[in-house]
Amino acid sequence: MSRTTTEQPARRRGRHGGIKGRRLAPYLFVAPNMLIFGLFTIWPALNGFNISFYDSDDGRTFSFVGTDNYTDILGEDEFWEVVRNTLTFVVAFVAFTTVAAIALSLLLNAQLRGRGILRAAYFLPVLISPIVVGLIWNWALERQVGLVNTVLEAVGLGQPGWLLDPQLAMGSTVLVGLWTHVGFFALILLAGLQAIDPNLNEAAGLDGASAWQRTRHVTLPLLKPTTFVVVILATITGFQAFDFIYTLTGGGPVGATTLIVQNIYEQAFVSPIEYGLASAASVLLFIVIFGVTFANYLFARRADAT
Amino acid sequence: MSRQAAVDRSRPATGGGSGRWVSTSDRRPPSTGVVVRSTVLVVGAILMLIPIVWAVLSSFKSRTELASRPPSVLPERFGIDNYTGALSSFSFGQYFLNSVIVTVAATVLTLAINSMAAYALAKYNFRGRDFLFLLTLATIMIPLQVILLPVYQVVSSLGLVNSLWGMIIPPAATPTGVFLLRQYMLTLPDDTLEAARIDGAGEFQIFWRIVLPLCRPALAVVAIFSVIWRWNDFLWPLIIAQDESVYTLPVALARFSSQQVVPFNLVLAMSVLSMLPVIILFLLMQRQIVAGIAQTGMK
Amino acid sequence: MRRTKTLLAATMAGICLAACAPGETEDEAAEGPTGDVEVDFASFEGETLDYIYFTDGPDEQVTRDLIADFEEETGASVNLQVLPYDDLEVSLQARLSGDNVPDVARLTTITPFSDELLDLTRFFGDEYPEEFLPGQVGAVTGAEGEMLAVPSDLTMNGPFVNVEQFREAGVDLPDPDDPWTVEEMVAAAEEVQAATGTEFALAIDKSGHRVSTLLSQFGTTLLDEDGVALDAGAAEEAVGLLVELMETDAMSGDFWLQSGSRYEGANEIFAAEEVPVYLAGNWMVAEFAESVQFEWAVAPNPCAERCGGFPGGKFMAAFERSDNPELAAAFVQWMNRTEQQERLVGEALFLPTRQDLVSQGIDYPQRGPDMEVFLADVKRTPEDTYESNAHPAFGATADYLAEEISETLAEEQDVATAVEDTIAEAEELVEDAQ
Repeated sequence: MSRTTTEQPARRRGRHGGIKGRRLAPYLFVAPNMLIFGLFTIWPALNGFNISFYDSDDGRTFSFVGTDNYTDILGEDEFWEVVRNTLTFVVAFVAFTTVAAIALSLLLNAQLRGRGILRAAYFLPVLISPIVVGLIWNWALERQVGLVNTVLEAVGLGQPGWLLDPQLAMGSTVLVGLWTHVGFFALILLAGLQAIDPNLNEAAGLDGASAWQRTRHVTLPLLKPTTFVVVILATITGFQAFDFIYTLTGGGPVGATTLIVQNIYEQAFVSPIEYGLASAASVLLFIVIFGVTFANYLFARRADAT
Repeated sequence: MSRQAAVDRSRPATGGGSGRWVSTSDRRPPSTGVVVRSTVLVVGAILMLIPIVWAVLSSFKSRTELASRPPSVLPERFGIDNYTGALSSFSFGQYFLNSVIVTVAATVLTLAINSMAAYALAKYNFRGRDFLFLLTLATIMIPLQVILLPVYQVVSSLGLVNSLWGMIIPPAATPTGVFLLRQYMLTLPDDTLEAARIDGAGEFQIFWRIVLPLCRPALAVVAIFSVIWRWNDFLWPLIIAQDESVYTLPVALARFSSQQVVPFNLVLAMSVLSMLPVIILFLLMQRQIVAGIAQTGMK
Repeated sequence: MRRTKTLLAATMAGICLAACAPGETEDEAAEGPTGDVEVDFASFEGETLDYIYFTDGPDEQVTRDLIADFEEETGASVNLQVLPYDDLEVSLQARLSGDNVPDVARLTTITPFSDELLDLTRFFGDEYPEEFLPGQVGAVTGAEGEMLAVPSDLTMNGPFVNVEQFREAGVDLPDPDDPWTVEEMVAAAEEVQAATGTEFALAIDKSGHRVSTLLSQFGTTLLDEDGVALDAGAAEEAVGLLVELMETDAMSGDFWLQSGSRYEGANEIFAAEEVPVYLAGNWMVAEFAESVQFEWAVAPNPCAERCGGFPGGKFMAAFERSDNPELAAAFVQWMNRTEQQERLVGEALFLPTRQDLVSQGIDYPQRGPDMEVFLADVKRTPEDTYESNAHPAFGATADYLAEEISETLAEEQDVATAVEDTIAEAEELVEDAQ
């Protein structure tokens, strides 16, 4: 990449043309978006951080308690149970959905006939409101009258309590999450696959590599950056999951699928209201997600640099 | 390779059927791999669709039918009572219109500001760039439920409460959109941009004339995501809107689902109604996405 | 990296700036009008009012009609804002914290908002509360005797029965004047279940409030004026009965477990004729009148130690920080006058809260006999149930009880532990609520 003399102060048109324009440009480009972030997310988040040091039972009047909220939360068994549930869900969701999405994108990429219809079919679930997704699946997984068990019973496999047994409920939640998002992630991976030079695969094929070997040693490594994007998105989606779980299981049975966002929401708005505790839990949540994502980012950056 | 007639004339046609099968066209029979793959994909697609199809079929059922054991597959009749019931329970037209306005406006705004921000983060080296990128990532991780009250205070003090603008502007700065577009823009060659600068193009011209067209596939993806998110946005419009004149469809759905007595048949009908526009839009736009992806930019 | 550090420092500074105390301290909270205010109904011409409302279904139309009459009479204009019931509190919290305060709201509990509500005795005199049932007034009385809201309708829990199924099984329905016992009710239900082949014998909404009906019948309540009032022995009997019914499939255990911490009503099960006896309340009367095809009726509450049901109700409250507190108070009072309440209650098939209406009776346009059964139960319902329902910690305690029952069903504990835990938690909640 040779650089010719860009230092010429010649007349340039366009948005604040010239060297000065070039320095100014990024700030102008970035401004509208960052302004909105700042106003509607960052500032309120800082506010929330502030509130985490206060106690409030109505969101309007506050009394300072310092770090009591944090010590209270970290000492509560219920909190750690919620943390365990959240981590279980996120890890399972990210792992299964990413693998399924990669597999799906590989299959779709190789498929020539009817690809459009198939892709549309897989993508459809993502278009539905999460509230509706939860409602439909709550109904479909009902033990005695649900669609799934009616089929299973007809085949002689009995009627498991998908939403009644704590482990099965967690599994069902992960599967519903997968059902909803696999098409979304496969679409991103598909775009990444399309960007891979087909010559590379052909060359490997000519060298005698089988389809599986080609996939494993040529395609997948080149798909890493896109995979990284999908893993990050899936992680964030997983940590924020609330709407569909709330309508699917209500957080039950007996709190088995209550994740951190539901916990925060209930503390902030459902009697007995503990607004300060909710804010403190939010801060902890943020730290965890940020830590995980940052680690992911550094890991990917180091991998890219090779 | 010439294609002869169906039967190999050198062999007599015996009754025992020892004739070789020769295809009459250029196609070979599909290999096992292709068949397996197609089957897997089709079966998977059916599994994906069954719950949706079932929900749509059930939206025609009456309440007693819905609660019957064992559940029926097809409704007794495809009566539209649920739909007329749902539509007459509130001003559907108004809510629909609001949803459309908010979705379209927010998506246009999202594409504009997200792409600009992504471009700056991807292609410029300036003070605070890394910080802003981390900030963007950080923003994704703050779910709305968690900052609801402080956000409302900001919106209220800006006078955006109970207005469609309040539902369009704040959600438009989607961090995920910035993230995706930045990832895509990172792969664009700097050479092209430098060449344009040398030719005398201004920064915004470069962005508008060169970068954006190259980003079509990513823009299409962000666009469809934005449509999905804004169309299904529930918590935000609920908090912003006070008058029914500003409600969007998901809020109406929530009203039904949370009444003391949930009319599940109406809820299903409304869910189907709210799914339809996005599905249709996606099917229409799918060609765009495909075309965009297939189109190779300057690599 | 240095740049990142500088910017990080800037952020910390920003946070410190933001660390001025948020909101107000408890002492600074706004004060309402002091002294008596004369309300002049003729003075509201051209003014507007925001009324946050949720509907149970059949009440929306009659409310709109009443509002139209109010607008005609006073010249004010009322903005009826209908919200989903589940989200009403969240929306209200948001509006109150954002200084976008509405004028009037319909609430099921005033606890989260009691600091924000107008004392109506300042407008209508100290005798104003006496127009309403004392039990319900207790729920809206503030620490210093203020009347923070008006009870706008009363609900009473009670059983619904599928008359056709009872007839088919040859089982007699109880006489409203001579109620059946809990044992008799369960036996009858199970007999009908066996004879007609219904899925279950009894159904109940997944709610601590409904379970409180059974608690009361066994002689105890969750709370009273002074705090926790639950008698472990009686509670174990009541909860034990429920758990046993669910374990023997006389009641649906699945139903209780599969909605987590969300409220779920069992009305669909009754409407689909899968259960002959459904323990709910009078709000279902209008709903069933419209949607149910089979013959049904309201049965009297069963007796164990005591008779009667468990009350609930809705309230109308005006906000101190409203732009027009006088209009807000006036609207609340107007909507709950004898004539207006009579109309609302009659058409929506609610129960009245006004003393005069309770004694003179209501002429219901439909399902009169059923509403009569509820009214009769109102007279039999013990005072302490009203106290329990009125306690600020009742909602949270009832929710906790429902959760404990779930845990018992999921076989993670026995009934005695469930009751013990409920009492312990109730004590904490009561303390927090002081």
